[in-house]
Amino acid sequence: MKGIMQTSAGSIAEWQTADRPDPGPTVPDPGLAVCVRGLAKHYVHPWTLRVTRGLEALDLDVRRGEVMGLLGPNGAGKSTTLKLLTGLLKPTHGQAWLMGEPAESTASRRSLGFLPEQPYFYDYLNGLEYLELAAQLSGMQAGTARERARHWLGRVGLGERPRLGLRKYSKGMLQRLGLAAALVHDPELLILDEPMSGLDPFGRRDVRELITEQRERGVTVLFSSHILPDVEMLCDRVAIMIGGRLTRVATVGELVEDGAQAVEIRCAPGALLELPKHWVGLVSRTQRADESVFRLEDEAQLADVLGWLLQAGVQVRAVTPQRPTLETLFLAAAEAERERRSA
Amino acid sequence: MIPLLIARNTFREATRDRVLAGVVVAGLALLALTQAASSLAMGEGRRFTVDLGLSGISVLGLLVILLTGTSLVAKEVERRTIYNLLSRPITRPAYLVGKWIGFSATLWSVALLLGLALWGLVVLRGWGGQGLAVLEAVYLVGLELSVITALAVMFSALSTPVLSALYTLGFYVVGQWSNDLRMLAERLPKELGMLLGTVANLVPNLPLFNMRTLAAEGHSTTWLHLGLASGYAAVYVACVLCLATAAFESKDFK
Ligand SMILES: Nc1ncnc2c1ncn2[C@@H]1O[C@H](COP(=O)(O)OP(=O)(O)O)[C@@H](O)[C@H]1O
Ligand SMILES: [Mg+2]
Repeated sequence: MKGIMQTSAGSIAEWQTADRPDPGPTVPDPGLAVCVRGLAKHYVHPWTLRVTRGLEALDLDVRRGEVMGLLGPNGAGKSTTLKLLTGLLKPTHGQAWLMGEPAESTASRRSLGFLPEQPYFYDYLNGLEYLELAAQLSGMQAGTARERARHWLGRVGLGERPRLGLRKYSKGMLQRLGLAAALVHDPELLILDEPMSGLDPFGRRDVRELITEQRERGVTVLFSSHILPDVEMLCDRVAIMIGGRLTRVATVGELVEDGAQAVEIRCAPGALLELPKHWVGLVSRTQRADESVFRLEDEAQLADVLGWLLQAGVQVRAVTPQRPTLETLFLAAAEAERERRSA
Repeated sequence: MIPLLIARNTFREATRDRVLAGVVVAGLALLALTQAASSLAMGEGRRFTVDLGLSGISVLGLLVILLTGTSLVAKEVERRTIYNLLSRPITRPAYLVGKWIGFSATLWSVALLLGLALWGLVVLRGWGGQGLAVLEAVYLVGLELSVITALAVMFSALSTPVLSALYTLGFYVVGQWSNDLRMLAERLPKELGMLLGTVANLVPNLPLFNMRTLAAEGHSTTWLHLGLASGYAAVYVACVLCLATAAFESKDFK
């Protein structure tokens, strides 16, 4: 993760100091699926003129073919980011490019599939009509659009009643239709805002499968979520946002390896040994009916503790490294950000 | 292509709305009513039927615009259905133009349907020779409704449904009186007169689209009038839609 941050920080500095060519700034790297430089959005309340900083100075690169998760608690600025990318919001500062095209141009949305947060559709249409319209608006011919609409309605599990009016759709069905609408025109870039929200476990599994399948087709996926296991399972890289700021970008593996490695030693139950004083706080013991478990907060102690146990004649059954979950890291990052703010 | 897709969808939205069916039924009921009442009109049945029929089409069209047209865009922004459109390769002007085409087409259909009913009535009652006048008058009402739709689209793109209904109604009412305003302006002190004159020129010149009295007398109008009205409507709509897109272009969809 450090490597990635450093290189991108370096290229940002270059980009900012470089003279911009006159017809708009050029793409820092046209090979990137998504490229964001200094993007910020300040919401101004129309009456009170109070400013909410929805997003601050975001720099982010998503490579082509990559699945990136935008992870953060509510109000972190995930939706703001995705709406800026899709042209629904105008940035206060900065710029973004999709597939090498500036986000404010319609060309950038030619091969884009977008799923808004809590999608809502025309309730005077039925599922098939809606998907057909979506496909045509994204540039498909009428005949192809109809065929793709049928296909995708079936793919998201809504094919049995294609003419059911959307006003009769449940929340989960609307979410599925939204996904189908994002995919109906075979986009190269998918931007999904909370694709798993509002879905039951089956629905979430289906969405995971869809994303995986698109990744295999070479589609770039950028999605936001606050559901950690989903992100952990799907993403090549994770961007953690808190309070309108990007705090880390890393692969799931890197994030997990970063923390201090705790180790657990499980032994057969035996005589109650007195832990030496200098290990208090570093090593803790849990006594269970069928085993004693020693937990080491840092693996550096492993050799010492093991030696001591073996010397005392304890039967060691297993030594397992304890990987920190994304969840603990996420909470730690949130805590750090809160401290930074209050400082 | 894109505006036409949006237009088709807008047409579908409007025609699947109960308001429209209600208005068409009300229009037909009004025509039936004129027949019941025309016996009381003492020989004025023809004038009465044509005048009331044409006014009915115009007012009912306005009602459709106020009830559904003024929330055309505002409702989409509020419900966020617009996210699904503008996140596709669609320019915002194309979206607004599409909305206007679709809703205008809806109103033209209503005007045509009720207009044909009126024309049929006139022919059936043996008031022949009036047919052409009625059709011309209906054409002008269609133009008038298209112009007001453009205003409704503009206000709807910039404010809430309720406010845009009020603004649209205001423009309609003042537009009906624009000739009188211009006359009044000439008699007022200079500054006030200029102000009033400007207002009169900004609102649509709706009397241009009104040949109800003429048609009720059984007279048709000139090609020049029809051409002038068409040209004026086209220019006015173009200006309003340009203003609307200029303001819509920088809008945030939150
Ligand atoms: N329309 C808006 N007006 C004012 N503030 C907003 C608006 N939308 C979002 N915000 C603020 O911007 C911040 C980020 O919001 P959002 O991007 O929706 O977060 P997330 O999607 O991560 O939950 C929040 O503090 C939120 O209150
Ligand atoms: Mg959100």
